[in-house]
Amino acid sequence: MNERLLDSKTKTKIAKQLKGIVGVEHITTQETDIVLNAHDAWPLSEAKIRAGEMLPLADIVVFPGSTEEVSEVLKVANKNKVPVTPVGGGAGTCGGTLPIYGGIQLDLKRMDKVINIDHKSMLVSVEAGMVGIDLEEEVNRHGYTLGHTPTSMRASNVGGFLATRSGGSMSSLYGKIEDLTLGLEVVLADGSIVRTKAVPRHSVGPDLRELFIGSEGTLGVITEATLRLFPIPEERRFRSMAFADVHSGLEAIRLIFRAGITPSVVRFYDPEDTAMSMSQHFDVEEGDSMLLLAFDGAPEKVDHEERVSVEICKENGGKDFGDGPSKRWWEHRYDMYYPTKFTTAGFSIGDTIDIVATYDKLENVYHAMKTAMEAHEAFVMSHFSHMYQNGGSIYMIFFTSQPDAETAWATYKKIWDDGVAACLREGGTMSHQHGVGLSRSTYTEDELGSSFQVLKKIKDVLDPNEIMNPGKLGLGVQE
Amino acid sequence: MIYDEDITQQIRMCAACPKMCRHVCPTFLAWRSESPTPHGRALLLHQEITGTRPLDDRAIEVLYQCLECSHCLTWCLPEIDVADIVETRRRQLVEEGRFPSGLNPMVDSIRTHHNPYKEPHEKRTSWLKTPKNDGRSLVYFTGCTAAYRENGIAEDAVSVLSSLGYQVDIPKDEWCCGSPLLRTGFVEDALGQARHNVEILNGMDAEEIVVTCPGCYRVLTQDYPKHGLEINKPVRHIAELLQSHLKSLPEFEIEGPLTFHDGCHLGRHSGVYEQPREVIERVSKGALVEMERNRDNAMCCGNGAGLRTLFPEHAKKIGAERVRQAERTGAKYLVTSCPFCKNMLESQAKDRLIVLDLPELVEMAKKRSHVKTD
Repeated sequence: MNERLLDSKTKTKIAKQLKGIVGVEHITTQETDIVLNAHDAWPLSEAKIRAGEMLPLADIVVFPGSTEEVSEVLKVANKNKVPVTPVGGGAGTCGGTLPIYGGIQLDLKRMDKVINIDHKSMLVSVEAGMVGIDLEEEVNRHGYTLGHTPTSMRASNVGGFLATRSGGSMSSLYGKIEDLTLGLEVVLADGSIVRTKAVPRHSVGPDLRELFIGSEGTLGVITEATLRLFPIPEERRFRSMAFADVHSGLEAIRLIFRAGITPSVVRFYDPEDTAMSMSQHFDVEEGDSMLLLAFDGAPEKVDHEERVSVEICKENGGKDFGDGPSKRWWEHRYDMYYPTKFTTAGFSIGDTIDIVATYDKLENVYHAMKTAMEAHEAFVMSHFSHMYQNGGSIYMIFFTSQPDAETAWATYKKIWDDGVAACLREGGTMSHQHGVGLSRSTYTEDELGSSFQVLKKIKDVLDPNEIMNPGKLGLGVQE
Repeated sequence: MIYDEDITQQIRMCAACPKMCRHVCPTFLAWRSESPTPHGRALLLHQEITGTRPLDDRAIEVLYQCLECSHCLTWCLPEIDVADIVETRRRQLVEEGRFPSGLNPMVDSIRTHHNPYKEPHEKRTSWLKTPKNDGRSLVYFTGCTAAYRENGIAEDAVSVLSSLGYQVDIPKDEWCCGSPLLRTGFVEDALGQARHNVEILNGMDAEEIVVTCPGCYRVLTQDYPKHGLEINKPVRHIAELLQSHLKSLPEFEIEGPLTFHDGCHLGRHSGVYEQPREVIERVSKGALVEMERNRDNAMCCGNGAGLRTLFPEHAKKIGAERVRQAERTGAKYLVTSCPFCKNMLESQAKDRLIVLDLPELVEMAKKRSHVKTD
């Protein structure tokens, strides 16, 4: 059992105050509840759970039911200088919701309501604790989609989307969560409630909304958001192309965007990932790389986009696989998120470093990271996804199996250290959509360079007592 | 160790899953906490198995905050049956005497009165009249809920079966089937009820047994044989029986659409999905509209596996959500094929929906079609 922060007198005092705010049934100091609430989706947490280790625990878990209650909870925490770790779905893959210094875990799951759908402006206002799939199903009933489809959709909450700057598998067309968000409500460490106005664009100074998107609970607690909606597309058409090498496939992607085409899905699997993900179901030549495309919209738009994309792919050596591989991926897109006997056996651990870079650097980053990560006898497979006009993301997926926990966790860290170092050396950025949390916290300063000091100064002003999710984003780290 | 190696591995996998089924777990909806969730239950058991952390009183309570509805199984690619895993541990908790004391009144009532409602045993079915008929003989095992709380279902079941030509007999000394005991871990008590029921049912002269309660159906067809107790005649749920007489069933013009709620014991636990739908489609002349969550993806009504006994307000929250899902279809009627589900759903629907059990719908069709033709 880890040593938690609060002595029993302080804990009793704070728990009593919090009960007065949220009601006795919405706060727990029971160890069982605290243990279960620590469970996130960081592969290292999951591997440690399997190995019988305990995750870091809070002293108190509180479930506020409104923004006002969040505000009152933070006032108590701030006054007593108690760490607060906000948590939504607990589906983060970087350890961002682990209460590593104990204190209060502020769980937003009760704040799960759609506040309003504005049909004229195509916007939805929603509380931060609503589960992604519940929101998507609700807007579907009105003929809309969020356009935001992360693999964690069934488990992650709106607040988590925003706190981690998340991206869905169709971000090429619809954008990431920062592109999909117009307005925010945030509660700061001192309990003050801040709103940024929901407008499509503005020219009134820096966009403060952007300050909180991706802040991972270190600057405040996101309690409400106004998100964009899209009409459900008339058609989603799939197409797949195999390439003899990574370079020619990447060229095809780059030229598709350059031609003004924006597919909804662009996923390009390197030879290892193609072998793992496609070869069981399709007759792909060994060493080939598979590109999956989808196009959303009215049939005439989709016709045009597909025709131009196919021409470009063929000019770059693409072999046509029809809609099969792409459609199959779409229909099974959540399958890879489930545990399997293979990936959970013994002291196995895998993870994904979801880097992003511009086209001029992307291939170099890929090769450099692959070499660095494979040096630790990791199996590495990758796909390029979330592609845009100027570059895109690579999912550098690794897997290692070791004889004991100590070796497994140490190997995991080495792969991360060397993988991220290679990424930064070649000009990439260490995360496209998963966030920083704990897994990347120690690299944040290197990643941000001189701008890290700006972030730090903002943190000092907004959270002088360093109560907000300390230890994440490289901020509030305690010795 | 109460789990074999394979189940231990499944618990280990579930305990560290990124929560792929939590969004459909009714108790997650009711509590909005990580505790009463499939992976929460698995994590407690995994930590107990690995010696990381023993079950404390709160952990035991969490294991009883499960409906055993198996909705999570529908969404689980590795097919881990958390309901079965939980029930296995509940059995041992009962052996250890570590079950929630809130279950005592239910257990005592079944021991004393052979029903969970503390109702006098002699009044169980003494009120239920069965007309004489020359047709095939059939035993109607009423179950406790139709006998004591939903009498209309039992009366209409008898009426519908009689009009199909069956000679319906009611067991004179039917006891609780044992479902509430089995699902909460009280196996020995359940088997006491079961042995008695098998004895009286096997002693009756009839071609088959019909039940209206899916809980009874699952217990009579699956749990009894699992414990070496064989009933010497076929057991059918009334939905199956009615479906086999589809062309003889009455039809009527129903005012407004109706939707169907799959009870967990009949649907996910017994695989009976289409038969009640065919019956509804026949008698209502195709007025069935489906809820978004139907068949193996249907949400539980909130009444199962001791939850209503131990946590009535949370159980009602789940029932209310299922009613909202039914209302979303625009239906005027909510039909189920389970007296226990009907009881919960009706209590939450108030006057917003008319809630009927399948025999009640067929009886309604019978009466209305007679009115029209007379």
